[in-house]
Amino acid sequence: MQAKTRTLIKNITIVNPKESLLADILIEGDTIKQVSKNIQEKADIVIEGEGKHAFPGFVDLHVHLRIPGREDEEDIRSGSAAAVKGGFSDICCMPNTEPAIDNEGLVSWIIEEGKKVNLLDVHPIAAITKDRKGCELTEFGALKAAGCCALSDDGSSVADSLLFRRALEYATMHQMLIISHCEDSRLAANGSMRESYVSSKYGIGAIADISESLAVFRDIEIAKFVKARIHLAHISSFKSLEIIRNAKAQGVKVTAETCPHYFALTVEDVEASEFDANFKVNPPLGEKEDLLAVCRALKDGTIDCISTDHAPHSCSEKELPFENVPFGFIGLELSFSLSYTFLVKTKILTLNQLVEKMSYRPAEIIGLKNRGMIKKGFIANIVVADLNKKWQVTKESIVSKSKNTPFLGRTLTGLIETNISKGRQVYSL
Amino acid sequence: MQKHAEKWTKKHILDIASLSREEIEIVLSLATSFKEISERDVKKVPALRGKTIVNLFFENSTRTRTSFELAAKRISADVVNFSSSSSSLTKGETIVDTIKTLEAYHPDIMVIRINSSAALYCLKKFTQASIVNAGDGKHEHPTQALLDMFTVKEIKTTLEGLNVLIVGDILHSRVARSNIFGFQKFGSSVTVCAPPTLLPFNYGQSGAILTSDLDQVLPKADVIIMLRIQKERQGGLFLPTIREYVRDFAMTEERFSKLKKDCLILHPGPINWDVEIVSSLKHKVHPRILQQAENGLAVRMATLYLVGTKQK
Ligand SMILES: [Zn+2]
Ligand SMILES: [Zn+2]
Repeated sequence: MQAKTRTLIKNITIVNPKESLLADILIEGDTIKQVSKNIQEKADIVIEGEGKHAFPGFVDLHVHLRIPGREDEEDIRSGSAAAVKGGFSDICCMPNTEPAIDNEGLVSWIIEEGKKVNLLDVHPIAAITKDRKGCELTEFGALKAAGCCALSDDGSSVADSLLFRRALEYATMHQMLIISHCEDSRLAANGSMRESYVSSKYGIGAIADISESLAVFRDIEIAKFVKARIHLAHISSFKSLEIIRNAKAQGVKVTAETCPHYFALTVEDVEASEFDANFKVNPPLGEKEDLLAVCRALKDGTIDCISTDHAPHSCSEKELPFENVPFGFIGLELSFSLSYTFLVKTKILTLNQLVEKMSYRPAEIIGLKNRGMIKKGFIANIVVADLNKKWQVTKESIVSKSKNTPFLGRTLTGLIETNISKGRQVYSL
Repeated sequence: MQKHAEKWTKKHILDIASLSREEIEIVLSLATSFKEISERDVKKVPALRGKTIVNLFFENSTRTRTSFELAAKRISADVVNFSSSSSSLTKGETIVDTIKTLEAYHPDIMVIRINSSAALYCLKKFTQASIVNAGDGKHEHPTQALLDMFTVKEIKTTLEGLNVLIVGDILHSRVARSNIFGFQKFGSSVTVCAPPTLLPFNYGQSGAILTSDLDQVLPKADVIIMLRIQKERQGGLFLPTIREYVRDFAMTEERFSKLKKDCLILHPGPINWDVEIVSSLKHKVHPRILQQAENGLAVRMATLYLVGTKQK
């Protein structure tokens, strides 16, 4: 048998959820063999880490890979490449595809496709209801056996409260996680941006913040009632966070994620962009009060993790007036730098807390073992970043098939230089 | 005319909100000169000879389109009309494609009407031409507000210190949004009156006073703009019935009797008689509304001239 590849990272600041330390990391095969100062062992590859930081590989619970169906916008190869450039070692892909990922065949096909590309682990999320129609439950047990990591009808809420109750109840039997896209679709109908003075001034179809918080409240109440776990996707508003904070205090098994744009942008940015289609996202960008609440909730733990809601769209789809374009933009390549720039540099989170939000907690939420820390015996998912580097977001810098992001032209701090996934260097600058 | 054009710096007229009071004054004063021309025997001036104007209407509006077309012809521009029903554009893609196609003819000005709010900020990126907003969704309808202001100034001799009342479907009205900003720039006070379902969210920041009590605000008004109610607003979501709307918001004989003697009633048209205004008041308000149409022509000549001569 061939000897396992050994990689040694020297003199690097290792950032773990609870503490940081300056040390060396020895990787053997796909595992972290040793973390300590002055490791003298021989290695095949030596990376000099002086002045750099090492993070446990990031885990994204919310990615739209667009497969099957819209391979023109993203596919498993481009999506994986974007993810490893962004420092991810595990991504979970949403089932709102064409056709929807609602059966074992598609679940195992995606896992296989991910393995073929072999850059990182792709974990499919399966639909809660058949064809995401909100009428009948999918076969949770079989889907889990095929390897899906969670269930979600992302793109819409399961509007039927009874069906959603049954979904949460049934999922407990298989210890499966339900991820809810919280939105009251009636209240959000025909909307393109958050209902605010800006939407009123420009007559833009608007989505009230209560369309999110009402759904958050309903979902939490149902989860509490049936004693199920629930994970709430892309939380964006002050009102939702108040409800989640309160539920957590009562011991409800609820976890929540937000996305970088909710702590970086507001409706004012939508106006300043002159309604650039790249600023249209669902849930929509909120008011300053919402942005501050998201920051506070990240700090106090009301929000468990940062996901991207990476939503590629082709240029022709985004080259249209604001009200005529679909929601969503890409995020995989920017998430770390945005989080570092908007949360750590501003002293809202420490680097350790950031690692908790981007690596440790998301891995824990979907039950990935031995991930989220740089520690002996853990899987060797390690990201090396230069936190002093500033870089500009340009279309040319983006490897995703789609270039739609509201951060084009922005200068961000913190650049990922190397991504090691299961001991293999899968990206380097 | 020359001196007006020299002071003008804007390439496009996309909204009233971003125009300054001085810029609005330039348009209105130039419109006065053009109105005189319209009263002559020979109604045409060579102001924009050699320029090409495309009237691009993604939403049907014969009245506005005709007004722009005639305005363009009176200042000797070549006019191309392009209409496309909004239904064929639901996919959206054709909007930008159409602009790109028309761009091949090197138009100097595009007059655009579209049913998508704030769409022109996007569309301007795809053309070298100046754009004049002829109504974009629920956002703005700048030339309508300019003609309303022109008419008010003509009759009241000033735009300052007036109490302007706008009644009706504010939420869906681009005319209201343009007028609210326009009149306030001259130091007039604007009150908007509608059922709460037809008032925009958090709209106090616009500076307008918001109310649903027409009878309380009527007696103070110097100018009232009655907005057209789309019949499809009734039935559940916004209004129970038109009858119910008439009860609280129509200009009735009784309400008319409570107005200031010199209160000026305007309506962007076409009027639903017996909905916004009872038909028995026709002889009292109709002449003013016809005057508005005539002024519309002068104001549109002025806006086309200003952006047209701005162009290099
Ligand atoms: Zn979603
Ligand atoms: Zn999503």
